[in-house]
Amino acid sequence: MAQRASKKSADPAANQESAQVVKDLHERMVRIRLFETEAGKLMEAGRLPGFLHLYVGQEAVAAGVMAALRDDDQITSTHRGHGHAVAKGVGLREMYAELYGRVTGACLGRGGSMHINDLTRGMLGANGIVGAGVPIAVGAAFAARYKGEDSVAVTFFGDGATNIGAFHEGANMAAILGLPVVFVCENNGYAEFTPQSGHMLLTDVADRAAAYGMPSVIVDGMDALAVHRAAADAVARARAGAGPMMIEAKTYRFYDHQGVKGLRHPYRSAEEVAEWKARDPIDLLEARAVADGTATRAELDDVWQRTRDEIAEAIAYAEASPLPDPADLLLNVYSG
Amino acid sequence: MTDVAVEVLLPKIGLSMQEGMIDEWLVVTGAVVAEGDALLRLATDKVDVDIEAEAGGIFHPVVPAGTTVPAGALIGWLLAEGEQPPDPGGTPMPAGPGAGPAAVEPVRVVAASAVPTPSGAANSPNGSAAPRGADGRLLSSPNARRVAAAADVDLTAVRGTGPGGRILSEDVEEFLADFPRGLVAPAPPSASVSPLVRKLAKERGIDLSEVNGTGPGGWIRRADLEAVTPTPAPTPAPTPVRPGAEPQAGDVLPLTGMRGTIARRMHASLQEMAQLTHGYEVRMDAVVSLRERLKEEWADGDLPVPSLNDFLLKAAALALRRHPLLNATVREDGIHLLGDIHLGFAVAVPGGLLVPVIEDAEALPLPEIARRSRALAEAAREGRISPALLEGATFTVTSLGGYGVDFFTPVINTGNVAILGVGRLKDGVEWVDDRPVRTRVLTLSLTFDHRAVDGAPAAEYLRTVGELLRKPLRLLV
Amino acid sequence: MTIVKEAPAAAPNVVARKLTYVKAFNEGLAQAMREDENVFVAGEDVAGYGGVFRMFDNLLDEFGPRRMIDTPISEAALVGLGVGAAARGLRPVVDLMFMDFIGVCLDQIVNQAAKMKYMFGGALSVPLTITTASGAGLGAAAQHSQSLEAWLAHVPGLKVVMPSDAYTAKGLTVSAIRDDNPVVVMLNKVLLGSTSEVPEEIYGIPLGQAHTARQGSDVTVIALGRMVGEALAAADELAAQGVEIEVIDPRTVQPLDTETMFASVRRTNRVLVVHEAVTFGGLGAEIAAQIQDAAFDHLDAPVLRIGAPFSPVPFSPVLEKAYVPDRARIAEGCRRLLERS
Ligand SMILES: Cc1ncc(C[n+]2csc(CCOP(=O)(O)OP(=O)(O)O)c2C)c(N)n1
Ligand SMILES: [Mg+2]
Repeated sequence: MAQRASKKSADPAANQESAQVVKDLHERMVRIRLFETEAGKLMEAGRLPGFLHLYVGQEAVAAGVMAALRDDDQITSTHRGHGHAVAKGVGLREMYAELYGRVTGACLGRGGSMHINDLTRGMLGANGIVGAGVPIAVGAAFAARYKGEDSVAVTFFGDGATNIGAFHEGANMAAILGLPVVFVCENNGYAEFTPQSGHMLLTDVADRAAAYGMPSVIVDGMDALAVHRAAADAVARARAGAGPMMIEAKTYRFYDHQGVKGLRHPYRSAEEVAEWKARDPIDLLEARAVADGTATRAELDDVWQRTRDEIAEAIAYAEASPLPDPADLLLNVYSG
Repeated sequence: MTDVAVEVLLPKIGLSMQEGMIDEWLVVTGAVVAEGDALLRLATDKVDVDIEAEAGGIFHPVVPAGTTVPAGALIGWLLAEGEQPPDPGGTPMPAGPGAGPAAVEPVRVVAASAVPTPSGAANSPNGSAAPRGADGRLLSSPNARRVAAAADVDLTAVRGTGPGGRILSEDVEEFLADFPRGLVAPAPPSASVSPLVRKLAKERGIDLSEVNGTGPGGWIRRADLEAVTPTPAPTPAPTPVRPGAEPQAGDVLPLTGMRGTIARRMHASLQEMAQLTHGYEVRMDAVVSLRERLKEEWADGDLPVPSLNDFLLKAAALALRRHPLLNATVREDGIHLLGDIHLGFAVAVPGGLLVPVIEDAEALPLPEIARRSRALAEAAREGRISPALLEGATFTVTSLGGYGVDFFTPVINTGNVAILGVGRLKDGVEWVDDRPVRTRVLTLSLTFDHRAVDGAPAAEYLRTVGELLRKPLRLLV
Repeated sequence: MTIVKEAPAAAPNVVARKLTYVKAFNEGLAQAMREDENVFVAGEDVAGYGGVFRMFDNLLDEFGPRRMIDTPISEAALVGLGVGAAARGLRPVVDLMFMDFIGVCLDQIVNQAAKMKYMFGGALSVPLTITTASGAGLGAAAQHSQSLEAWLAHVPGLKVVMPSDAYTAKGLTVSAIRDDNPVVVMLNKVLLGSTSEVPEEIYGIPLGQAHTARQGSDVTVIALGRMVGEALAAADELAAQGVEIEVIDPRTVQPLDTETMFASVRRTNRVLVVHEAVTFGGLGAEIAAQIQDAAFDHLDAPVLRIGAPFSPVPFSPVLEKAYVPDRARIAEGCRRLLERS
């Protein structure tokens, strides 16, 4: 029986982290940030069809968790899934090509933003249905244990998603079956335009883990190292067969729910947004790295530049890619 | 499946059929057939058709393929499981007229629903006969069937223009515009009848369309039949004509089917009548120039421009009104002058000749005659003409002008007293004062039965025709 | 109690102006809320935000948080809330942002709302309205683009309406709210900004009554939802070629006004049914079956169905365009029905 773990805030002993990890986290975050800001620009320029739920501001969560995972560990994601995919190592070319609806895309142009996946990277898919990824991760973890593998499954979900049945049923199922699942709640304080206080009475989503006898931990979701430490613990625990655990990362999205700028209805105050932006997760990590000598400014700038080039190349690749052929409309509806 | 032996009788198709040859059995002995399955291919004087089983059962032929039997003769049995044919000796054998065992009291069923053979058949000259599905089924839309039934149209005579040649309601409507009447398609018994009731009705000679159904939705129950006094059996379904094959040297052409009929009729005609022929040249200039004008003025296609033959048909018909002696039939009790003028016109078809009939021709405006003659000739050549349209001519026009013949001695169709032959349109000469003027002429060949018509009235008739052709405006209306 | 008042659209004193589909819906809803104090609205971001499609704009201001309720992302509880409240005499309007989300609350719709009156021996009614946005065409991909009317129309106890323009968006919504049964109002996402004449006053459009949107003699086109507009566009194109098609908008797919269809088919003898949903097992199958049953003898061609291929809605615009039926396919279908050699 899983013990109820007391919530603890992240231990600030980040100096212990190896420079290796810091650089890894930094690179993943920069990749996400640039991928998203460019995607946002393309969307605003009318070049991308469909919906786009951007991840800007929440990079520390995806980076921190993914840096603790192996390639064979599986993740399930959400409608806001680009960050998870990038951090898990899905190719930027395939991702942009998917956003463009090209046949070279991650879903062959069939899925778009909300369905990006890559089995070779253990990315079991973004999801258009809130909460739907949770039980799927439970099933992936079940399969790993069934096959005698020691991989784990991580499911990402928002604060709002914890109000849906699938989350609760999935959490209880993982707990009672003792499966190697890590539940990562990215609490950005809002479900679409409704603040957390408008959709649940709890302050901490992590409290919900207790209902299923699952330990939980709360971390500063703008602190990549803190997220990473918590994730590493939870993953190690799960891999060791100690069952599921929940991490609640308090974070914030800098863009609107969908797209870049909210068109209307100031559901968040300017001060609130500014306050959170002042704690930009990338700035925080960079400041710390430069301060403690883990990396030089030049090294960090080099990461930005290299990534920019890579992003530009990926976009060019996507734009040059062919469109799917309507003759193939029935492709992949069934197996065999 | 039957529960009692059902006789299969050779159906009489069309009014004039006397006998038919079983061209081919389409099912083998002992095969289980369902009602509506094609049972045999029948060759008659006019048509080759597939005959459907009127009931289900185990098939047992009485006569072999190739046998010619009179209409109404017993040709086979549809038996119940384990049942023997009523005549134990009745295994396949040639059966003469009236042949038919009567060991048990069988239900008599005439195999009457005729279906033309599939258009893919080798003897179909152009493959464009009646529309057929791959299985040989007549393709027609439900609405076409509804419209056809309401107007008594025989669908086998209608040309389908829908996908795969399916007959559409539009096709039926257009057909009706061409042939507003004179079609004898017996209304099929209402669908709301069980096979048993249908069988009983047949047996008792009851026309099901006259029966009041008291079951749900007008369903005719067995009891409903009791309330009806039998009426004569309905006319069998008319069937389309199938042209014969292109003959080749070395062939022996059987004197059966259409060929046999022609042989029999022509011989009978010459044997029983006293035929002689007048030749008579008529001026065609007015007709030719009127046609040229019509070609120009009616170029929009709303009205069909009448052919030379159409003018002749109309002239022949109008002249008959003035000379009723030539529109007659000779019977034992005397010469019957006929009230209606129904013009037959000969159409050469592969393997023979067909004579479609335009009813009341003298009353029809010329464009209407043109429309009908065209549609009838096309239907005849395509082998999808209803036999009903080949019946009842009171006078015939036949043309060999197209073959370059000037004068000939046409043979009168049995039952008529005269036939008008039309020769080649050619140049003639007329002297105006001392100048020769080029004219257009053709020679009419009128064969008449001297038993009924003398030479002078025959010549009068020809003169009238000639006058009408000189002043052709009268023919237009 | 069901009051159905058809708009006196022809009457001169009725002020009709052009309104967008979404505004017409909003106006009808607001008027129904004014008409009946028991009407309230619940859904995700419907109150404070006014709905992600602006369907509920300004309603919070007028009706306050008592009657405009933002709910957590809990569709099963949301519909269940509506069922329970309806069983206790209220007239809830619950909003499922995207029709695809009925997947997470199907039990409440199918097993609860639809069957409750029956199971209670008629002792209660469930005057519940479920509003939802359906349809493809916006690059919203497989989980945000479906037209699932056939799922719901298959369930005894439910009613399903599919507004095809602003006028019907208002009138059908009002009738859905006034109706004593659970009614699903399938708004179409692509039509939200489209405009048509809409009377200012409140009016209902009778449920289960089809509308002949255009008269014609050659082919009957029965079109659902957004396909009505496509069919009318096809009709213009065909008219220029001398083909007159009749366009029937069933408006309600459950109950389905088949009599109007039959009468039309008996005149035209040819039918095409078009909907956005996949062809297999779609409403077209039901309509085709009923027509062959009632008007078989009047058909000159098999009933033609046009719908989506049997695949999820694809994302890429080139695929989505090929996937969703349009005026060109409708016109081509009509020509095919009329083909003669
Ligand atoms: C079952 C379901 N209901 C509603 C939605 C519409 N929707 C998409 S995202 C979203 C908000 C999700 O909030 P949260 O889980 O906190 O994630 P965030 O957007 O904040 O990342 C909603 C309501 C959906 N996609 N699926
Ligand atoms: Mg959130």
